[in-house]
Amino acid sequence: MTLSSAYNIINSAFAVTGAQSATIARNITNASTPGYSREIANVVDNPYGGADVASITREANSALLDQVNSSTSESASQSAIAAGLATLAQTVSDSASSTSPSGATQNGASPSAMLANLQSALSTYEADPSNESVGEAVVSAAGDLTASLNSGAAAVQQVRSQADANMAASVATINSLLNQFTQVNATVVNGLHSGADISSAQDSEDSILTQLSQQVGISTTTNANGSVSIYTDSGVTLFQDIPQTLSFTPSPTLTAGVSGNPVTVDGIPITGASAPMAVQSGALAGLAQLRDTIAPEYQAQLDQISGGLVNAFAETDQTGGTAPALPGLFTFPGATGVPSTTQVTGLSSQIEVNPNVDPSQGGDVDLLQNGGISDPGSATYTYNTTGAAGYTGRIQQMVSAIGATQSFDPSAGLGASDSLSDYANNSVGWLQGQNQQATDAASYQSSVVTQATSALSNATGVNLDTEMTNMLNIENSYTTSAKLLTTVNDMFSALMNAA
Amino acid sequence: MSILDTSVSGMLANSNWLSNISQNVANANSTGYKTADTQFSALVDQSPDQPSAGAGVTATTTSLNSLQGQIASTSTTTNLAVQGAGFFVVEDASGNTFLTRNGTFVPDQSGNLVNAAGYYLMASDVQGGSSNTSVNSLSGLQKVNVEGAADSASPSTTANLVANLPSTATAIPAANLPSTNTNPMTYTDETTMVAYDDLGGAHTLDVFFANTGPNSWEMDVYDASTATPGGATPFSSGPLATQELTFDPTTGALSPSTGVTTPPNGSPILIPVPGGQTLSLDLSQTTQLATAFGVNSATINGNAPGSLNGLAINASGVLSFQYSNGSSQNAYVIPLANVPSPDNLTSVLGGAYQVSNTSGPLQVGNAGAAGLGTLDSSSLENSTVDLATELTSMVEAQSSYEANSKVFQTGSDILDILNNLKA
Repeated sequence: MTLSSAYNIINSAFAVTGAQSATIARNITNASTPGYSREIANVVDNPYGGADVASITREANSALLDQVNSSTSESASQSAIAAGLATLAQTVSDSASSTSPSGATQNGASPSAMLANLQSALSTYEADPSNESVGEAVVSAAGDLTASLNSGAAAVQQVRSQADANMAASVATINSLLNQFTQVNATVVNGLHSGADISSAQDSEDSILTQLSQQVGISTTTNANGSVSIYTDSGVTLFQDIPQTLSFTPSPTLTAGVSGNPVTVDGIPITGASAPMAVQSGALAGLAQLRDTIAPEYQAQLDQISGGLVNAFAETDQTGGTAPALPGLFTFPGATGVPSTTQVTGLSSQIEVNPNVDPSQGGDVDLLQNGGISDPGSATYTYNTTGAAGYTGRIQQMVSAIGATQSFDPSAGLGASDSLSDYANNSVGWLQGQNQQATDAASYQSSVVTQATSALSNATGVNLDTEMTNMLNIENSYTTSAKLLTTVNDMFSALMNAA
Repeated sequence: MSILDTSVSGMLANSNWLSNISQNVANANSTGYKTADTQFSALVDQSPDQPSAGAGVTATTTSLNSLQGQIASTSTTTNLAVQGAGFFVVEDASGNTFLTRNGTFVPDQSGNLVNAAGYYLMASDVQGGSSNTSVNSLSGLQKVNVEGAADSASPSTTANLVANLPSTATAIPAANLPSTNTNPMTYTDETTMVAYDDLGGAHTLDVFFANTGPNSWEMDVYDASTATPGGATPFSSGPLATQELTFDPTTGALSPSTGVTTPPNGSPILIPVPGGQTLSLDLSQTTQLATAFGVNSATINGNAPGSLNGLAINASGVLSFQYSNGSSQNAYVIPLANVPSPDNLTSVLGGAYQVSNTSGPLQVGNAGAAGLGTLDSSSLENSTVDLATELTSMVEAQSSYEANSKVFQTGSDILDILNNLKA
């Protein structure tokens, strides 16, 4: 220890306070950067009395980050479902305050409400069968019902197409994020190896992982050399040294009964009911569930209602013969008979009021009470065999058919047997229930994300008070070192003057 | 007249001291410089017929070569400092060997590490796995060249997969197992691993797990590049490896090879990597528990081709090349050399030393080995000169010189008196 060595020690003190100040400056600058982890300059003493900055490390908490990522995935999947269901729910636009004249809950423009309107129009017609304008009101109510079913089906198709397009966008985002990750991961591996400062690369890694978990649920493992491998929450490899490519062929139109293409990773499907390793969370999972499960289920319910309508209003052979039942008031293009419950796929987008009974299309409203809508003039399907004026037999049949129990396909999720009006009502209830559930789940998951993010931020984020305290410490240390330098210099001057 | 001779020798010795002090002060900031010390010894006139009488003083200079200078950090990786005993072995442009503590090495225009004084660092080349320095020999040492290191790739040979297979899985009929390579592929779970061939080409291996019954599984490994374009099945060639796995129903661990065909269960599974080595996949940590499929860790050795992007030198003097793919390769081992009497080395230009008769023979060994110091990368050894000591010595030397000149003056006055006696 000599006077000269004091110079070296002071020099190392300046170098160390410089590095510490740079770290604090970086921390303060990034205090409000999302996902930034506080950096710490680790100072060690060296054998000659000085000090060195051995490394710069960052506050990291992988457990909290995993929690942020998994809750982000859950939230993204629930929001995707909720957004789709909100679009569907608009087609039933439940205005809870409005009630029908009969006092039943009025479900806006839903098939259920339109069916109730039709039922009340038929009852009015039954009481006043000779009033043609009342008959026209029935046809118009029937038209509203088919329009409601058609628009429901169109909404389902729109939601599914939108989900399909969003899946394509999500796949593109994932592929781009995985490519970015390749670069950052290489920087980290390299930096760990050569001892370079990798904290900002690790911040980027964390940020990419969070963005990725927005799209798809992930889990990660870190290898001994610092390389991170990424797997989907179902275990399919997304990144290991090199990124795997997600492939997806979007379908421009998705009509009823047509299922969209699955998203595949290296040939392994990760969406779709039949995929053994389907992803569980993330926007991709939510969109796939919307496209492949929820929207088709609602489509099936609309189809069942349509099939039920065609069947309930079908006309049968009145001569005691074996002629097949034919669609009456409700029909669909190219109809040659009435469909069974399993043959109705896509019917809700096609169902229409039979033109033979629609005055606006040149039809005859009287067929409504007399029968023979399916085949005007044919004796086979004419119910009013005597030609009596004001015949109400057929109208009564139609009114009771709406309330009569009939069978439905249980795969639509609303049971196998019910009355048409109850079934339509249940369908609206199902949709609103799903919507409510998805909205609740989405807002719950979103609050979980907020909590997890703030927990992570508390653990690894920048606390300005701490930084300020450290800054004052460093300033004191620097001032003292400078004072020391002046003192050593004065001592040398004294020696020089003595010589 | 001995009074004059003696005082002149005193003045001469003190001016030697002053010249050493000025040398030390001038080199106060020379890297690896060792303080030159001045020793005085009396000269005695020993004529046979006279009693011995003082005949003056002589000054000898010793370079204190075994002193340790302070280590200061730099930002250049190839700057080196020795902590402890020992010298770098260096060579000048004409091939003569020297020793030095001046570690200001940087690559020259052809990539050879050379210090500020123009001496090239010598080390043993261990690229390609050749042997280390033979102890006590300078033979086989070469200039350290850090340019033009070839790209490096290494094939995958070992892998370790730690995963969990769900015990709740339903069995897949034998006719549909992944080993049948049918479309669509039927499996319970799948993961992929990236292996490297001899030339560093990446091959994605698709690893299928199919449940074949309670606690028993079939594992099939396919080369993903043989899949139908678009990643679809079937693969154009059969599995690279097929293995039955049975798990212990109590512990969920992979069972020993009871009733399992070759290769025995639990032992590494041998997978021939296309164009590469046989990959030995260790599954012994894989479990079968009642939870979903998950990969806990998948490690595999081998590297894609990487270009040189850095150097590292450790305390034992091993210089390794760092490649962009994260791998590193030992390239040189930098030895240290020492002599029994370092202070008796002959100093030559540029802070270098030559072995002399009095220094003793040269000993070469690895840094950190018995008697030798260790290497610090990105560091330099400061000069051992302390200015305060030198200034103090300077004052002392000045006084001493002045005293000798007074003696000379007195002697000269005495002679004057003698000369004036005659007049």
